[in-house]
Amino acid sequence: MTTNKPEESVRNGNDQLSSLESSEHRILALAKGSGKGISDKDIQNEVPDLRPDQRASIINKLLAQGYFDLFNQGGTLLYKLKDPSRIQKVKGADNEEKIVYSIIEEAGNKGIWIRDIRFKSNLIPTQLNKILKILENKKLIKAVKSVSASKKKVYMLYNLEPDRTVTGGAWYCDQDFEAEFVDVLNQQCYRFLHQKLEATRDCKGGPIAARNISYASSKDVWKYISELGISKVQLSVEDMETILDTLLYDGKVERCVTTDGSHLYRAVESLLPAPGIVRIPCGVCPVLRHCSDVGSVNPKKCVYMKEWLE
Amino acid sequence: MSTQFGALCSLILLEHFGEIVQKVGNDLYKCQSKPLRLIPGSTKLPLQKVKEALRIMIQYDFVTFSMGQLPDRAEYTLLADKVVLLLRYPRYLLLMKTQYGDEAEMLIEEILRQGKDTASRVIIRAATRLKESLKVEKVCLVTLRDKFLVLVNKQFVMRCPYPSEEKDVPELTIKEKQLYLPPDINLKGLSDLEEGKPGNPGDEGICWRVNLDRFHQDFRDQIMVSAISRRLDDNAGELLRQLLKQMYLRTEPWVATSNPVPFTELREAVRKQSSYPLLAQYVDQYLKIMEEDSSGFVSKVGDSSGGQYSLNMKTAFIQLTWATIENIVMERFGSKAARIFRLVKAKKFVEQEQIQQIAMIPAKEAKLLTYKLLEENFLQMQELRKSLASNVPNKTFFLFYIDLNQVARMVLEMCCKALYNAMTRREYERSENRRMIEKQQRIELITLNMKEQGATSEQLAEIEEMLTPPEQALLEKVRIMINRLNEAELQLDETMFILQLYLSYQI
Ligand code: SF4
Repeated sequence: MTTNKPEESVRNGNDQLSSLESSEHRILALAKGSGKGISDKDIQNEVPDLRPDQRASIINKLLAQGYFDLFNQGGTLLYKLKDPSRIQKVKGADNEEKIVYSIIEEAGNKGIWIRDIRFKSNLIPTQLNKILKILENKKLIKAVKSVSASKKKVYMLYNLEPDRTVTGGAWYCDQDFEAEFVDVLNQQCYRFLHQKLEATRDCKGGPIAARNISYASSKDVWKYISELGISKVQLSVEDMETILDTLLYDGKVERCVTTDGSHLYRAVESLLPAPGIVRIPCGVCPVLRHCSDVGSVNPKKCVYMKEWLE
Repeated sequence: MSTQFGALCSLILLEHFGEIVQKVGNDLYKCQSKPLRLIPGSTKLPLQKVKEALRIMIQYDFVTFSMGQLPDRAEYTLLADKVVLLLRYPRYLLLMKTQYGDEAEMLIEEILRQGKDTASRVIIRAATRLKESLKVEKVCLVTLRDKFLVLVNKQFVMRCPYPSEEKDVPELTIKEKQLYLPPDINLKGLSDLEEGKPGNPGDEGICWRVNLDRFHQDFRDQIMVSAISRRLDDNAGELLRQLLKQMYLRTEPWVATSNPVPFTELREAVRKQSSYPLLAQYVDQYLKIMEEDSSGFVSKVGDSSGGQYSLNMKTAFIQLTWATIENIVMERFGSKAARIFRLVKAKKFVEQEQIQQIAMIPAKEAKLLTYKLLEENFLQMQELRKSLASNVPNKTFFLFYIDLNQVARMVLEMCCKALYNAMTRREYERSENRRMIEKQQRIELITLNMKEQGATSEQLAEIEEMLTPPEQALLEKVRIMINRLNEAELQLDETMFILQLYLSYQI
């Protein structure tokens, strides 16, 4: 806003100010419209009536206020708009805060652990703690408890919705894993698939038709569970697949992939009944390794055996 | 081989053959092979007794001999596997009884009892026993002989090898085409002998023994058939049985993968039977679902003559071993642990973090179970360093995985131990109540004698009252306990059978 003619500037003060301001807005709008950034030439085209020195002063001002980042691309300078929410927030913050903020920002909605912030920022713990406190108080960032480790807190920007890996999605309630809920769903899904399998017993259309009947897509299961109304939270089809996968690892269902990439599930029987070894106490005995002819754990005096034989 | 296996082996020898055989067996178990002269020294037994023990064990094929380091000295080797098979004898007999009838069972039992014997002697002994058990004057020797021939034909019994040439240490051999050559038995001589007259059945010197592998082959097939019946249905089970039959026409019984069986032949075979009409109608469909099933017993290997199918024995027993071990993990550590175990199996290598996420088990519990499985050697852990520099934090991964061979061996070991324990307990219960059991036996004997002398029912009742009701109740209890342990031993052997077969296919 330097001008050579002070009197004129006084006289036309309001006028000039407003025209400069409007140019400023137009430049900002231009930058907002182009993700790649804008060059000096773009600005010239957008506001042709601006004098080079005025242009320079506007850009200088925007850069100083932190609206723009400066890039050098193939010899031309590009101005790119920074994330608007951020500028206002970090405004007035000191450099360390800005650095910490940007580290946290980078981590996105997965969050970042304080230790990793320390490594990246090279700040000493006390200072870092202080900065985190300040940022937290300003409601710029927040600390979220991660489900993967109960004592681990991760930091992320205040307005972000934490990622599922942090909150655990539908299966967590205040960072607590709802094991019972999962178990109930696991059982119900199995019941559904098992019923389908049972229904094939008197299928007259031949074994392939019978097998096909016993298949259910994850969507079918999802519908069934939704209609049961056992879940307080809204479950997605993916949530259902997560549960169905636990059944897969329980060895109770089989999964196959259809041509369009979706999954089908069906209940299966294990190949063998419980093997002979677990039908005698030694097979499930916790002290099997310490059991021998001599010593206090021995088959002659064993109480497990005694109970079992009675 | 492990000490546990040795202990089991030793206990079995003791139970069936007494202390001396046990001692010699133990001594041989400890070393690969040993000449006769060294055994008395280490067992502190007189030479004569050692010789006798060796003779017994050779008779049952538990010990073999061959030329040792000195050219004219034989060295003896214990075949511990064969000793442990003694536990399976009741199952062999059961198979005979259910599939070939009482006579076949008797014949096999008589051979097993002696280890090896000539056909005529086996038949005569079986005849005597049949007479006793059926309480008849005469049994038809021709039927028994024919049964024997059937067993030879089906390869359940085979000729023993014999020394081929005069040597200091005889070498026992037999030509392959002689193995199942039916014996030529003179019926006249046989019946003379049976009546106690001198006679010559004409097969002196030709000894027979039981071909245990043939039994194992039947066990194997039974296991596979019932697994498929469980997984799919009885029709599929029957189809597998037919497939196995067709397979034997063109394949050695113990190969890992059978030669292909053409669909047309299989369909013919299925049509001939009539008890499974649904199967006949849908052979092709059943084949298809069997082939697509994750068990992988059957696979399609060609398209000519309506499709060529082969049986994958090796794969089948890998699957059955997995199923066995998964079941064991389930029973020992609970269903959540089994879930973790299967998850590691599916992912091959997996990190702790992933386990709890995918298995949907609370972190703490998942960790506990995973490390429990690790501690008990069902899981293995591998450390993976991303960077070699040791000062970089957080760059080491711990991956869990399963080494099926190792787990199978370990479970086999567990089986040995459990068997050993069950046998020990059984003997203990028996010896604790020896006095009572002996008393009961005495009373039974007296009753029997009195009956023969025509005692009145009052007299008999009087004798029976010598056992007081509490004593009878106790005896009954002991009997139940011993039965239960016996049954458990047989069931344990089934688990061992699957694992042993799996391991033998891995070689
Ligand atoms: S005998 Fe008793 S203590 Fe020993 S392994 Fe068996 S159950 Fe366990």
